[in-house]
Amino acid sequence: MSLIRARRQHLPGCCILPPDMLRRIALHGSRNQREAALDTLAVDQTLRLGRATYQLLESGARHGLLGVPTTAKQRTIYDAQGHETLPGRMVRAEGAGGVADVEVNEAYDGLGATFDFYAEVYDRNSIDDEGLRLDASVHYGRRYDNAFWNGRQMVFGDGDGDLFNRFTVSLDVIAHELTHGVTGDEAHLVYLDQAGALNESISDVFGSLVKQYARRQSAGEADWLIGEGLFTASVHGVALRSMKAPGTAFDDPVLGRDPQPATMAGYVHTSSDSGGVHTNSGIPNHAFYLAATGLGGFAWEKAGRIWYETLRDKRLKPTATFRQFARCTVQNAAHFFGPAERQTVSAAWAEVGIRAA
Amino acid sequence: MGRGRHPGRVGRGTALRIDFSIDGGLAAFPGLARPVSIHCDALPAHENARLRDLVRRADFFALPPQEPSRGGGPDARAYTIAIDDGSQCRTVTVREPIADPALRDLVAELRDKAMAERRPK
Repeated sequence: MSLIRARRQHLPGCCILPPDMLRRIALHGSRNQREAALDTLAVDQTLRLGRATYQLLESGARHGLLGVPTTAKQRTIYDAQGHETLPGRMVRAEGAGGVADVEVNEAYDGLGATFDFYAEVYDRNSIDDEGLRLDASVHYGRRYDNAFWNGRQMVFGDGDGDLFNRFTVSLDVIAHELTHGVTGDEAHLVYLDQAGALNESISDVFGSLVKQYARRQSAGEADWLIGEGLFTASVHGVALRSMKAPGTAFDDPVLGRDPQPATMAGYVHTSSDSGGVHTNSGIPNHAFYLAATGLGGFAWEKAGRIWYETLRDKRLKPTATFRQFARCTVQNAAHFFGPAERQTVSAAWAEVGIRAA
Repeated sequence: MGRGRHPGRVGRGTALRIDFSIDGGLAAFPGLARPVSIHCDALPAHENARLRDLVRRADFFALPPQEPSRGGGPDARAYTIAIDDGSQCRTVTVREPIADPALRDLVAELRDKAMAERRPK
């Protein structure tokens, strides 16, 4: 255990949830809950195995005389060369200069910006807070329209060129995916229904904050878009999602219309997409936007801190509902800031139809 | 021992219809989640033959309804493929990353075919 983590575990309201709760859900939950819990456990176990292996192999290099992990970035970018076998050929290591391949450089810079954000703003040492190395593979698959964090590394497709550009193009998407790793390490939110939508929303929140931090934009200046630049010019849309105005990011003959609701009045009950995790995330996304713009200034300083502490709060259950999450943010707003911030966060949730006070 | 092979089951003489939809990924796209029907006999001969060959190589009619994945995690896409060859029909959901190279090739081909079907005529 790192000293940073040990120190944080003594802070009020902060600890790492054990996987025991997930195992209980896997044993006793509904069928959907069981499957989702097993998926989450699988990713978590992969992450922990990767972390343990890494620590065994590189503990000498990573730790100083006092046993404190270094907070230096350790990025490695691989080229999957159009195959779906990971990681591929190593093409850029930490500290090496830029190469001719723009995707390699965008991945390298995006991983770095995300690492720096978590380290500088929240004193977090990489995804697991224990210095996990950041690996990424680009050129994954053929005309591959996706990017994902597989529990060990980032994976980026080139896009098909018709609808989607390369998936390294958008910094907030890179940070979104890496934040799935943070959530997997901290809150174990089950990727189903409202807990899954919260999992997605947290990735959008910190994805957007990484971009805002890199641009040094205030909440009022930020665009609050997720995935701007991913669509080709032939798509009728500006981004994957809008936290400012959910449901308005795209309206395209092929992709369809952005289905995100902004409030509980538009909540979508569905079995698709793990219970609408990419749809109903619009509701907590919009609550964060309202809280951040209500609190003002740089969004990562107050709103982001409240959401980050909630992500690490031991009261947050893997099956948390929107209301449970909202209540936790309101309590953390009061705990870490004060009554005015508490009121602003509570009002933000009320505006999206969630009574959190 | 792998799944049993049934060469000749997806021959040229039978009608072959494939319904295909994409679920999940980085965002919810209602247009991609809507199933698209691909009628193999309506395709040019070489494409028809290639698609039938991919279905045969993937041993599609012997697949379990939920093909297991290897740790795709959040934002991994899931594909639902329903194939009716006139004498049998089967629906399979597979989540990325797809371990079986033959099934991976079939999904890649169906992604391209479905995209062509979705484009406004």
